[in-house]
Amino acid sequence: MSTPKIIAGRALASVGFLLLGLGSSCGGQAGAAQAGDKVFVYPIRSSGPGSMDPVRGSTTYDNQACSLVYETLLQYKYLKRPLELEPLLCESMPEVSEDGTVYTFKLKQGILFQDDPCFPDGKGREVTADDVIYSWKRIADKGIGTKNWWLLESTIAGLDEWRETQNTSSDGFDYDAPCEGLKALDRYTIQVTLTEPVTRFLYVLAMFQLSIIPREASELYGTAFSRHPVGTGPFTMNEEDWQTSKSLDFHRNPSFRDEYYPTEWMPEDEASGRHLAAGKKLPIVDHVRINCFVQDQPMWLMFRTGKLDYAQIPAENYVDAIRKRTKTLKKKYREEGITYYPVPLLDFIFRGFNMEDPLVGGSSEENKKLRQAISLAVDLKEFNDTFYNGQNVVYDGPIPPKLAGHPEGHFSDKAYRGPDLERARRLLAEAGYPNGEGLPAISYYTSLAANSAEQTEMMARQLGKIGIELQSNLLEFPQLIEAINKKKATMFSFAWGSDYPDGENNLALFYGPNGSPGSNHYNYKNSEYDLLYEQIRAMPPSPERDEIYETMRDILLEDVPYVGSMARTRNYLSSPWLMNFKPTEDFWNWPKYLDIDESLRN
Amino acid sequence: MWTYVARKLLYNIPVYLGIILFLMLALRVNDPAYAFLGKNATATDLADIKAKLGLDQPFFYQYLEVLSFNFDVESWANEGLKVSEMLKRSIVPSLSITLPALTLTSIISITIAIISAYFRGRPVDRTLMVVAVVGMSVSFLVYIVFGQYWGAYLLTRDVGIDAFAIGGFEPGLKNWPYYCLLPVLISVIVSMGYDTRFYRSVMVEESGRDYITTAVAKGANKRKVMFVHMLKNAMIPIITRIMTTLPFLIMGSLLLEVYFNIPGMGRVLFKAIQEQDFPVIQSFVTIFAALFILSNILTDVLYALVDPRVRLS
Repeated sequence: MSTPKIIAGRALASVGFLLLGLGSSCGGQAGAAQAGDKVFVYPIRSSGPGSMDPVRGSTTYDNQACSLVYETLLQYKYLKRPLELEPLLCESMPEVSEDGTVYTFKLKQGILFQDDPCFPDGKGREVTADDVIYSWKRIADKGIGTKNWWLLESTIAGLDEWRETQNTSSDGFDYDAPCEGLKALDRYTIQVTLTEPVTRFLYVLAMFQLSIIPREASELYGTAFSRHPVGTGPFTMNEEDWQTSKSLDFHRNPSFRDEYYPTEWMPEDEASGRHLAAGKKLPIVDHVRINCFVQDQPMWLMFRTGKLDYAQIPAENYVDAIRKRTKTLKKKYREEGITYYPVPLLDFIFRGFNMEDPLVGGSSEENKKLRQAISLAVDLKEFNDTFYNGQNVVYDGPIPPKLAGHPEGHFSDKAYRGPDLERARRLLAEAGYPNGEGLPAISYYTSLAANSAEQTEMMARQLGKIGIELQSNLLEFPQLIEAINKKKATMFSFAWGSDYPDGENNLALFYGPNGSPGSNHYNYKNSEYDLLYEQIRAMPPSPERDEIYETMRDILLEDVPYVGSMARTRNYLSSPWLMNFKPTEDFWNWPKYLDIDESLRN
Repeated sequence: MWTYVARKLLYNIPVYLGIILFLMLALRVNDPAYAFLGKNATATDLADIKAKLGLDQPFFYQYLEVLSFNFDVESWANEGLKVSEMLKRSIVPSLSITLPALTLTSIISITIAIISAYFRGRPVDRTLMVVAVVGMSVSFLVYIVFGQYWGAYLLTRDVGIDAFAIGGFEPGLKNWPYYCLLPVLISVIVSMGYDTRFYRSVMVEESGRDYITTAVAKGANKRKVMFVHMLKNAMIPIITRIMTTLPFLIMGSLLLEVYFNIPGMGRVLFKAIQEQDFPVIQSFVTIFAALFILSNILTDVLYALVDPRVRLS
């Protein structure tokens, strides 16, 4: 055989193989929208959600995906600010007993789970009170790897004991065993008895982790339920629609009930025309696609070519889009019909310590001084100016701006706020490491996001000034959270977006029993703090409660289980064809309200 | 030939068994369950996850299990997702990039190398080699970032030609040019510098052999000498280079997959390593070892096809 023939043969063979491979995939294109569908496409800056089983989810990405398919008893009003709860699966807001411990919820009748093979004939059945109780009980089941027990812990009468009994029972976990505080009074009525009045209870019921799922699906799919969601929400997702690390496709749920666009709005909604959709049947779009981006460049370029309907402005593109002085959108963007939405977040950016780590954790004086020294060496203003265009609010304590417990002027004199290198060196020496001598490199975990490597460099440089060495571990977000949940990370960079607009949510992050894999990623334990937390849980908003918030904040500032804090402003841009857009990161079920003007897109 | 292939396969079985044994031992030097769960895992958690993959069984049973090529085990880090499913979903996206890239790179590089060798020492040769050296001196990442910006973004935005996707992947041949051609071209440009230089040196070495002088003495024209006599004799190193690349094709190209949002094997394996997802890592190395051995056998067969001095007997 001649040489050119061999080369040609190889080329043909390769192309043939390629055709075979590609051809085999033809016809099975996952998640394809139908012609004429209104398609809403948006990005998430991560390799995607970790799980679509609500009780296994914990991140904002899990929230975004789950909120499209699942529903909770309550939700936030889309257009109202400040945030206000309203019924979603309930007929009305619950009746609450005079002592504030008994809640009675009436479910709407005729709400159907989406069609799925887990049901007889594949037809989704009606949601009942038993589904609500089953879904909430799942959060107590250690066997399914729930990360969210903290949401209901010490809240519902008898649930803690029930959990203990079921998880240790030799007969296995029995969901049918009765629990004192959870009762189905009839097919549509649930009565919940709390151990004591818990202020956050209603907020918790609007969180995606307490979404209602059908027992059939959970039992049939087992661990695969994480990728095979079956809910009551406006959209559905098939298993093959989740292309790991690439995209998730959601389709209009044909059996979704009659739900309509809100008729209550704020004055600014009239100015932007969001009120014009009032009364429209939801969801308005037919198809939602979430694209996952580990790198910002492709996300930004896709938005700029109109392939994403909204995007956050990556830090490196901020000056291209926004005038730094006036913080307004530049003319070329305005001329394209793009709209700018600065969204201040209920946000807590911090560098946490694993308080169970022998090097930096614990309550010993030496280790505390080491943490204080680290905190004093870190210059958050430099981070803010370099990486966030100075848009962040640098503040002391764990409670974000605009909430009770946030220090006046963002500053507390109890804080070990850097940079104060003299004091940092002194404390480091008192901790037993003069100029960092004898201190091993601290293992520092952070996500593989846009400028994480650069932020880690800055962190290493700032700590290097007092002789502390960092050993960096850059991971994708799901792996970072796994490392933290498993208490592998000595020190880690992380952010917490408040689940509900109450400082109690952030203070719960340091409550001892919430340790990893719960939300207390620091595994911080302080009996005085825990007692105060248990006290505020039952208190309605009041000056007394605010005072306790401040005491708790000061305990944390002294113990330094984290270095912080900053609250971000997220910069959203939307394309001209995206209608009814009112971005918020406090809840994520709003894609159902959005509309696309396809004539403008084309 | 088939007897030869069968014999080779038979000879390589003990080699494969040895490699798998070594890889399994290497992957178990540190307890994979402990590595996945972390230092604060409870004994029950560790026992549960070990039982899930049979890591609590005697080593010999685990060995047999691995050799059974059962990829229907569940990923530790992606609950509900089987390794076989991950492989199935990611192999086409990876091959859609790497296979055409290898084919194009080989054809273009060999052609340029022959031209370069043909004009050895003359300006054409020097220019081509300078371009090759410059090309291989620029980082892969730079090609990707600029390729994506100019090739996909500016072309769409400023020229109005939406020829290449900025990111994403859809299966099907009709989608291939849109989603894959740009990453393929970038990959070709990056690899061309290395390959051209290598192939040129092979050609230059061949051009000094006696049979070339004989062919010229017999009156063969230069083009025939280069493209028929010389290229055929240079096929052994060319085949070696291409065949050693083949197993890597299946593993994809991590950077291209990350930047172009292509859900390929490179990304899956990289993510699995980051997550200490043992079932995925073990399955991938098992496949990789098998592919390596198969490509070696195929290389031997191809040697015999292109060089009559090599006998399959």
